[in-house]
Amino acid sequence: MFRAFDWQDLIPLAKGAWLTIQLCAMSGILGVIFGLILGIARTSPSRIARWISTIYISCVRGIPILVIIFFIFFGIPLLFPGLELDKFTSAVIALTCFAAAYVAEIVRGSIEAVSRGQSEAADALGLNYWAKLRYVVMPQARKIMVPPGVGFIIGLVKDSSLVTVTGLVELTHAGNIVTNLTGDPIMTFLTVAAMYFVICYSISLLGRLYEKRTGIQVDPLKLPEPASV
Amino acid sequence: MALYFGDLLPFSSLLLEGLWTALYITLVAMVAGSALGVFLYLGKVGPGKAVSIFCTCYIEAIRNTPLLVQLYLIYFALPALGINLEPIWAAVIGLTLNNAAYTAEIYRAGFESVPHGLREAGKALGMKNAQIVRYIVLLPATRNVFPALTNQLILLFLASSIGSIISLPELTNAIMSVSNTTYRTIEVLAVGGLLYLGVSALLSLASKRAETTLFRWAVGARV
Repeated sequence: MFRAFDWQDLIPLAKGAWLTIQLCAMSGILGVIFGLILGIARTSPSRIARWISTIYISCVRGIPILVIIFFIFFGIPLLFPGLELDKFTSAVIALTCFAAAYVAEIVRGSIEAVSRGQSEAADALGLNYWAKLRYVVMPQARKIMVPPGVGFIIGLVKDSSLVTVTGLVELTHAGNIVTNLTGDPIMTFLTVAAMYFVICYSISLLGRLYEKRTGIQVDPLKLPEPASV
Repeated sequence: MALYFGDLLPFSSLLLEGLWTALYITLVAMVAGSALGVFLYLGKVGPGKAVSIFCTCYIEAIRNTPLLVQLYLIYFALPALGINLEPIWAAVIGLTLNNAAYTAEIYRAGFESVPHGLREAGKALGMKNAQIVRYIVLLPATRNVFPALTNQLILLFLASSIGSIISLPELTNAIMSVSNTTYRTIEVLAVGGLLYLGVSALLSLASKRAETTLFRWAVGARV
């Protein structure tokens, strides 16, 4: 029958936590890359680029991440028969699709927060669009992006728990397995919650450290809200 | 592969019922959570040291753990203590407790955004404390907080989909059960996704409209 929750149950949970960290690191990096591209497209002078990115961003932001995960996990094998993705890859794809849209909104907000005069000055100096972005707008927008970006990465860690529905053994799923072994959901999920807390809180401490180092501070109300609940 | 939406027609009422459940728990959790958030915020900034520490710990604990794990604790761990909850109650309670922590932080940001100099100016004009709170702090803070609160409502609506994992028959749950019955996975995910998208677009449109009507006196004057 059931045995009590003891220290050896920490091993599968720690393995799950490590997989959660890997998952979030990969989809976080990919999400930031695609999010930057989308966010720049969202504010670009090209109407087509603006339309495509706006449609993508508002679609993803209006649909729950869980539905996106189901779509990638069950939909892709149906749409592309023969394409075999393992659970980790589909989870990374789903989280990246999701992250890109929210990062793009942060990028857009930060670019728009750089005062218009800066951009006009660059125009007056005869810089072309890319030079203006590279030398004038982005260096200033980068600083504004950091605090909400940190908040978003924390949201990504929390949302990665939903990947549990695909059967990938990340932290939450590991918690399910340990619960079935020990029959002790209280201790197990309190431990799981504590592990998430440690991951998320360390990220926010790192963010605060970075804010202190660089002196970046932003009006808390101007931050886009954290992407997840 | 050919897409065919006809198979979904017999299940449209199931999907709509799921949408209704999702909206229902969202609204209940929003109202209850933002009320509870007021007390959390007041407890956090209030004079009671122990209360303040408790509220801060609660807010940080909720904001740094996934909603899914919180729901698991309510749905799977509480029965071990002898408290059995229906999925819908577990979801409502989970979303409410979760939402309270986020709204408390929204209130904090809103009140901190009113510069201290304004209160001093009120005092210098000879206003009473109650007048200062009402006209100088509460009104601008409400206006500053409103967009964040409506954004939170939309996020909460999307988050209600997590209830499907604890077998609450809301929209995502309905989508998956229709998919399992008809094997029209892509079609039903597309329809369900559009339902979510439509409702969140409506909510966002309504809140923009509400913002411009409610705070017409303050357009462009954000402190």
